Amino acid sequence: MDKRRFARPLSAAVLMMALALLIAGCGGGSKQTLNVFSWTDNFDEEVLEEFEKQFDAKINYNTYSSNEELLAKLQAGDSQYDIIQPSDYMVGTMIQLGLLEKLNKANIPNAANIVPTFSAPPFDPTGEYSIVYTWGVTGIAYNKKYVTDEIDSWEDLWNPAYKGKVVLLDDSREVIGMALIKNGFSNSTQNPDELRKAVDDLKALVPNVLAFDTDNIKQKFIAEEVWIGTLWSGDAAFVQAENPDMEFVVPKEGATIWADTIAIPKGAKNKELAEKFINYLFDPEVSAKNFESIGYGNPNEKSRPYHSEEYLSNKTIFTSDEDLARTEWLVDVGDMLQEYDRYWTELTSGH
Amino acid sequence: MLKRGGILAFFPLAWMIVFFVVPTVLVVLLSFRKRGTLGEILPEYTLEHYRRLADPLYMGILLDSLIVAAAVTLLCLVLGYPLAYHISRQSRRRQRVWLFLVILPFMINFLIRSYAWVILLRAQGVVNTALMKLGLISQPLPLLYNDGAVLLGMVYGLLPFMVLPVYISLERLDRRKLEAAYDLGATPLRAFRHVTLPLTMPGVLTGATLVFVSSAGMFVVPEVMGGAQSALIGNVIQNQFLSARNWPFGSAMSVVLTLASLAMIALMYRAFRTAGGKEPI
Amino acid sequence: MGRNETDLGGAGREPAGRMERANRGVTSRNVYRRAVAAYSAAMLAVLHAPLVVLIAYSFNDSRINAAWSGFTWKWYVSLFGNERVLEALGNSLYIAAMSTVIAALLGVPAAVWLHRLRRRALWSGLFYLPQLMPDIFMGLALLILFSRLSIPLGKWTVIAAHVTFCVPVVVLFVLARLSGIGRELEEAAYDLGATPRQAFFRVTLPLLVPAIVSAMLLSFTMSLDDFVITFFVAGPESTTLPLYIYGLVKRGVSPEVNALSALMVAVTILLLAGAELARRRGETPSRAVQPKRKET
Repeated sequence: MDKRRFARPLSAAVLMMALALLIAGCGGGSKQTLNVFSWTDNFDEEVLEEFEKQFDAKINYNTYSSNEELLAKLQAGDSQYDIIQPSDYMVGTMIQLGLLEKLNKANIPNAANIVPTFSAPPFDPTGEYSIVYTWGVTGIAYNKKYVTDEIDSWEDLWNPAYKGKVVLLDDSREVIGMALIKNGFSNSTQNPDELRKAVDDLKALVPNVLAFDTDNIKQKFIAEEVWIGTLWSGDAAFVQAENPDMEFVVPKEGATIWADTIAIPKGAKNKELAEKFINYLFDPEVSAKNFESIGYGNPNEKSRPYHSEEYLSNKTIFTSDEDLARTEWLVDVGDMLQEYDRYWTELTSGH
Repeated sequence: MLKRGGILAFFPLAWMIVFFVVPTVLVVLLSFRKRGTLGEILPEYTLEHYRRLADPLYMGILLDSLIVAAAVTLLCLVLGYPLAYHISRQSRRRQRVWLFLVILPFMINFLIRSYAWVILLRAQGVVNTALMKLGLISQPLPLLYNDGAVLLGMVYGLLPFMVLPVYISLERLDRRKLEAAYDLGATPLRAFRHVTLPLTMPGVLTGATLVFVSSAGMFVVPEVMGGAQSALIGNVIQNQFLSARNWPFGSAMSVVLTLASLAMIALMYRAFRTAGGKEPI
Repeated sequence: MGRNETDLGGAGREPAGRMERANRGVTSRNVYRRAVAAYSAAMLAVLHAPLVVLIAYSFNDSRINAAWSGFTWKWYVSLFGNERVLEALGNSLYIAAMSTVIAALLGVPAAVWLHRLRRRALWSGLFYLPQLMPDIFMGLALLILFSRLSIPLGKWTVIAAHVTFCVPVVVLFVLARLSGIGRELEEAAYDLGATPRQAFFRVTLPLLVPAIVSAMLLSFTMSLDDFVITFFVAGPESTTLPLYIYGLVKRGVSPEVNALSALMVAVTILLLAGAELARRRGETPSRAVQPKRKET
């Protein structure tokens, strides 16, 4: 038998390793390192580079794709991260679990730049642990080419004319919360009867739903695979830029508001540098540049003068105060979460 | 010989004990722990997670998932065997080229490949557009977001797990036995049924094991290509960790899924043994 | 392919009825063989269809995988300017290469040992059970293990995890092969005076090569593709390509990812073609095999 046939996988492996080392090889040095753990594309690249230059530091930017993944990493201890970006309800949970450091606001004077609405949100009432980094509302997005009726209520999703063309977020709290709001209840109810009523309502909707989707929902709207569905306002702005037929409304019954925050996990090795980083991000000019690039809602009031007209006039990104008055935060529902999950399993498995 | 064998096995055994047995025991213990209101793990032991699993809802989904996994395994076998057979009949050099071509698509990230299928199959996708341009259909076919699409995605993703082991056993097949069958006047189908297939059973069983277990816990495909009601046990387990924050319940579900998969595989091996085959493992 | 037909040359000496049957057999065997060849080609086309789509869309001007809006090179340009993608790619290739080699070094001896055992049900379970565990279960289990042992998460924890799910593939493939070849050849070697070591390296191991190569190929792709387990055991400096891509997908699939996929296909083809060429020129001396022997 041909012994040399070992050589092929071996040399391929050696070549690949060489390539890997070549690519991984650059870098090094003894700079301070800031380990950032966040959502993907949550910063403008230039903004990060500028920070590295100004503060002679290296940023290690790592990503997660759900709050619970972040929580799992932190709970395992020794997370090695300096900056994290949990969403609203997760901040509340993390505070209760003792996973967050208190921010030293003396090092973050720019924290005062954000709008008062977000300075003491219900999930962090004293504002000691987190600062709202970006925010949005879950509303209805629809394509006016196919949806010609006026859309102003969650009820419209149930319209049989849209059978098979409805998409809902792949998130139990968002979807059940939506049905709760539609029925006039709180989106975080702990009342089992209210919950059951909302779920029964959803069971009538599910046969019309093409899919539950969070990751690829924008493509579904842009490619016109769906006509109507629930969507986050930041994503809706993205979709509108690609498909001018898209509309976004905050229904009259109310809607869920959400925020991603910035915080420092317990035991962070570079707390001071992390605070410098936060302060840098909330600098009005930096902040404007950052949000022009990532396209989500900027809560930084002082940065308005530096934003483009186009960004500021975008009604999808900047929900009107009138709409905002009807919104509600999702809060932790404690042990009821298991009930929510069981209903969610029923809805998505068809059992 | 045994002593030598012991040395041979020391490092692999030690590795599997440290990185597999110990962590598994930790998770099994976790499945008996109480969950705190915030999702934290309390230092008390309970059977409640296993009791909760007895709910027909979860058992129904588990059964569905096992049926899907069995269907995927069967489809992979039926679709993959002829391909493996063809590869094994090539010259050495061409075998390498074929193997490489079969593996090549799998160098691409699974999620990205699944999205490529979405581009191909969606209502305005490549396939539907082509069929409509050809005038074969007037309305786009619902090729995506249903259970058929989930099957397609899984079979596509897991095919190499079947093709490679079957190829390995075919490549080693003793051709003389086959020629003997032909000389005795066997038709190709009979020769295949009575000679080739039994001799390649070890590869088939290996492939079936790999495909079955990988599809039983799969969650990406139902998420990307499935419809609103396509969630399988893998998705439910995923939800326990990533939204319901109930690690002990998720662990209990994983333990039960693993035991159920093991039972199915044991049944498969048993059926094979009673049919008089040689044990591959 | 011609070899199979000539094999039947002896049929002429058979009685007429038998010959007729044999001839009919040859004809229908050819039909079957052609059908299988046509089917395999079709299958290959289906396997590569998504690849073609990805490559096509990597030249699509639109920011999102929706409709075709014109040809562009810009995603390739921005890809090379994207340090994070390149770093993730580097990490992924390094981790996949290391895991594959270590898994082969552990898996082959394990399979040989298992094959020699009389009652191996229990022990072989140890080697293929990791394949049975849901990914998220394995990921969580390893995360708990590493945090209990206070091992900081990083490249080596990822490699350890990947080796653990690649070893079963190597063991399964090699065992399947071993039970296919039987012990006759090895025993023949003993009869000819070979030591157990010689018998293994000169007779058994070469016969295992196709299984080892297939298992390593599959292990490499599994390592390159794993998201769930890697997520749990990755640290700040070990973001792999799937981790990066999954994060990216949350924000809408960037065509950069398509460009990257297209490039990876190209690089894989080039690397393997290069290795094949080197092999044919005989530039890879058999010495390259020796370090591997010592470790086994």
